Amino acid sequence: MTSTMTTKQGGYGAGAVIQLVNFLVDNEEYGVEVLKVREIIRMTDVTRVPNAPDFVDGVFNLRGKVIPIISLRKRLALPLVAYDSNTRIIVIDLDNDLTGIIVDSVAEVIRITSEDIQPAPEGTAQDNNGSLFSGLVNRGERLLILLSLDMLLNCYTLKSGDAVNH
Amino acid sequence: MSQLCEDKELLEEFLAEATDLLDNVDDDLITLEKDPGNLELLNRVFRAIHSVKGNASFLDFELLVAITHKTEDVLNRLRKEELLLTPEVMDVIMEAVGLVKVLLRDIKREEIQDRPIEGTITRLAEILVALAPPPSSSDPSPPDMETGAPAPSVVRVVETESAPGFAPELPKAVTSEPVRKAPPAGETSPDEPTDKSTVRVDVKRIDDLINQVGELVLERNRMLQLHTEYQNGLDNSAFDEEFAKLAKRINFVTSELQAQVLKMRLIPVGNVFKKFPRIVRNLSRDLGKLVNLQIFGEDTELDRSVVDEISDPLTHLIRNALDHGLELPDERLAAGKQPGGTIVLSARHEGNRIIISLKDDGRGIDTERVAAKALEKGLITQEQLAGISQQEIFDLIFLPGFSTRDSASDLSGRGVGMDVVRTNIKKLNGIIEIKSAKGTGSEFILKLPLTLAIIQSLLVDVSGETYSIPLSAIIETLRVRQDEFHTIGGRKVLPQRHAALPLLNLAQAFAVADEVTDREYCYVVVVGAAEKRLGLLVTRLLGQQEVAIKSLGASLSNVPGIAGSTIMGDGRVALIIDPAKLIEFGEVRGGLRHRHH
Repeated sequence: MTSTMTTKQGGYGAGAVIQLVNFLVDNEEYGVEVLKVREIIRMTDVTRVPNAPDFVDGVFNLRGKVIPIISLRKRLALPLVAYDSNTRIIVIDLDNDLTGIIVDSVAEVIRITSEDIQPAPEGTAQDNNGSLFSGLVNRGERLLILLSLDMLLNCYTLKSGDAVNH
Repeated sequence: MSQLCEDKELLEEFLAEATDLLDNVDDDLITLEKDPGNLELLNRVFRAIHSVKGNASFLDFELLVAITHKTEDVLNRLRKEELLLTPEVMDVIMEAVGLVKVLLRDIKREEIQDRPIEGTITRLAEILVALAPPPSSSDPSPPDMETGAPAPSVVRVVETESAPGFAPELPKAVTSEPVRKAPPAGETSPDEPTDKSTVRVDVKRIDDLINQVGELVLERNRMLQLHTEYQNGLDNSAFDEEFAKLAKRINFVTSELQAQVLKMRLIPVGNVFKKFPRIVRNLSRDLGKLVNLQIFGEDTELDRSVVDEISDPLTHLIRNALDHGLELPDERLAAGKQPGGTIVLSARHEGNRIIISLKDDGRGIDTERVAAKALEKGLITQEQLAGISQQEIFDLIFLPGFSTRDSASDLSGRGVGMDVVRTNIKKLNGIIEIKSAKGTGSEFILKLPLTLAIIQSLLVDVSGETYSIPLSAIIETLRVRQDEFHTIGGRKVLPQRHAALPLLNLAQAFAVADEVTDREYCYVVVVGAAEKRLGLLVTRLLGQQEVAIKSLGASLSNVPGIAGSTIMGDGRVALIIDPAKLIEFGEVRGGLRHRHH
């Protein structure tokens, strides 16, 4: 069985098998838990939202629903590249709140156990409220970075009256 | 478990029924007061209270039973003509009905609490006790009883607190006797215990809907068949034409369907209006004013979410009209008017908006006094006052903290009411207009969208990006030469008839590359929120379209100036502009009012 016991912030039960969607951004490998992924689609038309945080690319239409979309490159302060045929939108479902994240390409779904997860080094990709990474997985040659979706998505809620002034 | 469910069902049924009954009771009581001899009405009220009592005792709501029981007793006497329906008796009955509503609301919220009902019960009992001594013919048959049956047993039970020379034949249930103390619980006017989670829909509307869906199914079958034929490919020459026909029919059916479903959310504005006769009656008595409230267009339908939001603002406007607008009878006579004032509340459709107007024939807004008060309270500076138009002075009354009263009374004077009006109307993307002439009265006009789910909107192009502006907030669109703009304190304005219209360049506000500035002409969409106006500079006007509002999701819900989004015909998302927010930001950036700081 592959059922996973998950709680927020990546607290997994001992020995549980976790399935991850493995994707690339700026030649680094990242992973998000497959259960949080609603679907993966190709790049589509995005409408810019003025005065939104700069890493929010805008909103797009997913079969009649309007969903915000954020660029992981912008979020992680990586150099920007043009979108190409490998660019994908991973639609994340956090408590029925959908958000798209733009990644360079999606590789595969992998399985790990909770013991494989090492803590992320202190001070990496720090936001005001904590790290955007919830852990690292050492996979032989390669290092896979686990994204903390709660941090990634929840921290961009605006307070009203923030912008327009400049 | 099933027992519980059953109980809950029973309870809900009881609440729905009681709410309905009481709504009618209010109407009936008001009518009854104008026509005290109407036995049919009296009986209806009696039956309503009686059913509420019966159900309440079945469900063991003791307080409710106690109060309805006494009320029923009084009504019973009235009905048997053992008691005369005087304004005093009416007061107590209304107080009791108000209390019943409060209790029902408690039950609905599942917060049953010990309300002080003894006072009301005592007053009801007093009426009954006063009746007890044998009919002394101290009171010659009252002149207003035209029922022709002033039975000898009829006793007037007044003389308790009313002025001695009180004449019962005053027409509008309104007397100019000294202000009487407001009944404690009833007057606080409980929120109508309306149920927001369920909708009552006319069966006919559902039948219509089923018909429409039937047609839609037919068209779907036609579409499937067309597809099969096309795939078989025997004769595809007619496909083009057939498909065009089908598309037309589906378009027609879905539009109809949309309209039908929308209608289900519509309720008559009368649901809000019906509580006003009672409010006006009580207030006018407290204030010692004579008021005739006329209501028109209560059948006008609008979305229930809108109905919920306009209840408070209208109540404030009505209180305002009574308290500030209308004069006391003596003053009116001195001004050469009828002693009784008139308030006209009306609703009508205009395009896809609803226009609600509240008009009084009182003293009108005294612009000098308003200006002086605003100055005194520090809401405006002397310099600002110098260049202000009359319309702008009217707008001052919406400022939080503004009041022409020197001290707050029970009724008004805290400077909150008009701010509530403004806030709620703004929330609905509505517009407020004030017309007033000193000495002859004021009119407050609310223009509101019919529904909040689907709106008519104007699509505009802002340097290549498409935005949608709710039509309900648009006052006009202008094509203006760039050189007509002026700059005041770093802010662009367009001089107009009454006042300079502040402008906001959307391309700048939304940080799009600005290409408007190098054109000779540009377009200005004048939007309003409550009493404020703002001109939005756009590149082009694209046309009008009906759009369904979609939220941007929780995380983007607070983006300034954006109310939501909609999906266009080509599948792209267009953002809907929030004019009220833009106006707010415009002021922060240094609008007219804030330019001297």
